[in-house]
Amino acid sequence: MRAAKGDRIIIRGHRVGEPDRDCEVLEVRGADGGPPFVVRWGDSGHETLFFPGSDAMLQHFEHATTGGKRS
Amino acid sequence: MRAIEGIRRSGVAIGPERTMREAAEIMERSGVGALAVVDGDHLVGIVTDRDLVRRGLARRVDPQARVDSLMSSPVVTIDADADLRAAYAVFRENAVRRLAVTERGRFAGMLAIDDLLINLSADLADLMRPVTAETIIGHRDSPVPATTS
Repeated sequence: MRAAKGDRIIIRGHRVGEPDRDCEVLEVRGADGGPPFVVRWGDSGHETLFFPGSDAMLQHFEHATTGGKRS
Repeated sequence: MRAIEGIRRSGVAIGPERTMREAAEIMERSGVGALAVVDGDHLVGIVTDRDLVRRGLARRVDPQARVDSLMSSPVVTIDADADLRAAYAVFRENAVRRLAVTERGRFAGMLAIDDLLINLSADLADLMRPVTAETIIGHRDSPVPATTS
């Protein structure tokens, strides 16, 4: 997954009824836009390092109306 | 399959100075049950929801306590390029449910026993498919080749 500052990452719920999670990419630490990313989780304000797995989808804000793209 | 390719869920890491309360809130917000604790690029520990309960809540630790006072350390790891089957042995030899996957010495993700079980069940399903089809559709014998005797 390659991301840029301002992108949104969505993690789909792992169980039935579990809500999706989302975070905003604040900084890209890897080479060529790769992970890890410094992200902020929703409106909680918590910042963490994020290492995307197969459950994560990247959404560029400029393409927000076309939906997510599976990484 | 490489160990890092067996990971099903995203990994989340925090600094050792973060508090127990923050760790709990981040777990809730990100949907993970274990956080890697990294100091700069260095993986220094793992803190799980179980750690927060047993080492924190049960002992009435101040929620503002640092996570490095609750985390498990040293961390059991596996290299990202290792064969995924090597993870079975690591799990077997260590009483852990999650392995930190490292790439060039840096944390790269968290491999859970659940991930191995899911991959294993998918492999079994692939193996079972022709057997199941044969049971349902019936056994097909190859035609006997014609002979000229």
